[in-house]
Amino acid sequence: MLKYLLKRFLWMIPLLIGISLISFFIMHLAPGDITTSEASFNPKASEESRQKLRELYSLDKPVIVQYGLWLKRMATFDFGTSFASHQRPVFWQTKDKDGNVTLGMIQEALPITLLINVLSLILIVGTALPLGVISALKQNQLADRSITLFVFIGFAIPGFWLALILMYWTGVQHAWLPISGLQSISHENMGWLAQISDSLKHLVLPVFISGITGLAGISLFVRNGMLEVLHQDYITTARSKGLSENRVVYGHALRNALLPLITIFGLSIPGLIGGSVIAESIFAIPGMGKLFYDAVLMRDFPVIMGILTIGAILTLIGNLLADVAYAWADPRVRRGVVR
Amino acid sequence: MKKAFSNPLTILGFVIIASILLLALTAPFIAPYDPNAIDVKVILLAPSYNHWMGTDGLGRDVFSRMLYGARISLMVGFVAVGIATAIGIVLGAIAGFYRGWVDTVIMRTVDVMLSIPTFFLILAVIAFLTPSIWNIMIVIGLTSWMGVTRLVRAEFLSLRNREFVLAAQALGAKDARLIFTHLLPNSLTPIIVSSILGIASAVLVESGLSFLGLGVQAPQASWGNILTDGKEYIQFAWWLSLFPGLAILITVLGYNLLGDGLRDAYNPRTSR
Repeated sequence: MLKYLLKRFLWMIPLLIGISLISFFIMHLAPGDITTSEASFNPKASEESRQKLRELYSLDKPVIVQYGLWLKRMATFDFGTSFASHQRPVFWQTKDKDGNVTLGMIQEALPITLLINVLSLILIVGTALPLGVISALKQNQLADRSITLFVFIGFAIPGFWLALILMYWTGVQHAWLPISGLQSISHENMGWLAQISDSLKHLVLPVFISGITGLAGISLFVRNGMLEVLHQDYITTARSKGLSENRVVYGHALRNALLPLITIFGLSIPGLIGGSVIAESIFAIPGMGKLFYDAVLMRDFPVIMGILTIGAILTLIGNLLADVAYAWADPRVRRGVVR
Repeated sequence: MKKAFSNPLTILGFVIIASILLLALTAPFIAPYDPNAIDVKVILLAPSYNHWMGTDGLGRDVFSRMLYGARISLMVGFVAVGIATAIGIVLGAIAGFYRGWVDTVIMRTVDVMLSIPTFFLILAVIAFLTPSIWNIMIVIGLTSWMGVTRLVRAEFLSLRNREFVLAAQALGAKDARLIFTHLLPNSLTPIIVSSILGIASAVLVESGLSFLGLGVQAPQASWGNILTDGKEYIQFAWWLSLFPGLAILITVLGYNLLGDGLRDAYNPRTSR
C-alpha cells in the first residue's frame, strides 16, 4: 500500500511538467508573441501592458530561459500581479513595506468555488445514488424509464439555459430565491442564523446548476454498475443462501457497484471546476470561474495563466485523492494483490 | 444496423438529427426573412403567423435566425469533432500499433491534457486569439481528442494479435496496410459512436461559449448568442429565451440518443 501511494505520488511530477509545457505553449500561441497580438482588444492598455507582459514573462530572453522562468513561477506559485485590477497579486497575499496586506485574487476566489463544488458533489451523491439504484432494481419499468428520461435531459440541457429559466422562475416571478451574488445587501445586519440561511439561499441555484450534468451522469453510472453486478454469480449465491433482498442489494451488490464511482468522481473534477465558469458568471458569484471569465474578457494574462495552472493542480490533487480512496476501499489494492 | 434501429429511441435520435440537418442545409430557401435584417417597426413581437418565433430587440426574425444558427451549430459540431477524431485516430493508431516508448509518450500527453479543466483550456486559448467561428471549431477540436485516442489505442491493442492480423502480417503486409485495411475498419464502430457523442458535447460547448460572448460573434446568429440577447429581455420576451434553449436541448438529445443506441446495439455487455 505504502509503495503504491509513493509511486502514485511521484507520478504527479511528470504530469506537472507536462502541464507546465502546455501552459507555456498556450502563452506563445498568439501570432508573433503575445505582446504584439491583435487579440489585445483593449487599445488603451496596449503599449503599457505589452511592456508589463514582456517583463513578467521575460519575453526578450531565449525561449528556453523563458520556460525555465515559467517553471520557477509555477513551482513557487508566483503568477505575478493582475493587469486589470490595480496590481493585485494573482495567487496569494503580499505585504508591502507598511505592513498592509493585499489578498491574492485566487486566494479569495478559490474557497468559494470549492464550497460550491463540494456542495454539488454532496447533492450529486445524495440524489444520484438512490436514482441509480431504483432504476436498476426496476429495470425497464416505469420508474426506470422516467429516471432514464431525466438522465437524458440532464445530459442534453444547456446549463446556462436552465440557469436562466430557474433565475426567472424562482427569482423574478416568485422571488423565492436570490438570483445573484453570495449575500444580500443587508447581510451584515442579520443575526448569525439569518446570515447562514441567507448564504444558503444564495447557493441553491448555483449548486444545482453546477451539479445537474454530473447528477445525470452518476445516476446512469450507478444504474449500469448495479445491473452489471446484479447479474454476477456471487449475487445468485447470496440469494440462494437465503439472504434478504435488502441485504443482497445493499450489502453485496451496491458496495461493489460503488467502487468504480470513486474513480469517476476523480475524473469529474476538471468538468466541475471548468463548469464553474458558466454557473458563476450567470449568478455573479466571485469564485474562480467568474474570475477566469473576467480575466479572459479583459485579457488579464497573469490571472489566466495562474487559474489555468491552479485548476490543473486541483485536478491532479482530486485524482490523487480518488486513487488513494480507491486503494483504501478496495481490499485487493489495499493488500497489494493487484497493482 | 437493423438491430440498432429496432430501438425506438435510436430512431427518434436519428429523425431529430436528420430533420435539423435538413433545416440547416435548406435554411437560405426556407428562411422567411434575412436573418440579419434589422427592422425597427417590428421590435420584440410575440410569435405570430408572420413571425413564427417572434422578433428580437432589433426587429430581426427569430425563426430565420434560428435556422441560420442551426448551420453554425452543425458546422461547429462536425468540424470540431472531425479534427478531434482525426488527431485521435492518428495518435491512437500509432500508440496502439507500435507500442513501446511512442505509446508511453502519447498516452502520458493524453493524461496531461485530461488534467487541465477543458473549459478553462478552451477559454485560455480563446483569450490569446480573436473569437471567431473558425477559432472556436479548431480550439474545441484540439482540446477534445483524448477520448478518441484512448479508444483507438485500446481497439488496436486488442486487435493487434488476433489471428487475421497476424495472418496478414505473415503474408508480408506492410504496417500501413495492416493499419488501414485490417485494424482501422474493425475499430470503426466505437469511433463512430464516440464521434456522435462528441458532436453533442461540441454543440453544448459552442453554445456556452457564444452565450458568454466568446464564441460566434454578432451579427452572425448562433443559438448561444440568440440566448444572450434573450437574457436581456427575459421579462417581456420569453420567446427569445425559449426557442434557442429548446433547440440546443433537442439537438444534443438527438445526438446522444443516436450515439447511445448505436453503442448499445454493438456492445454485447449492455444489450442483454
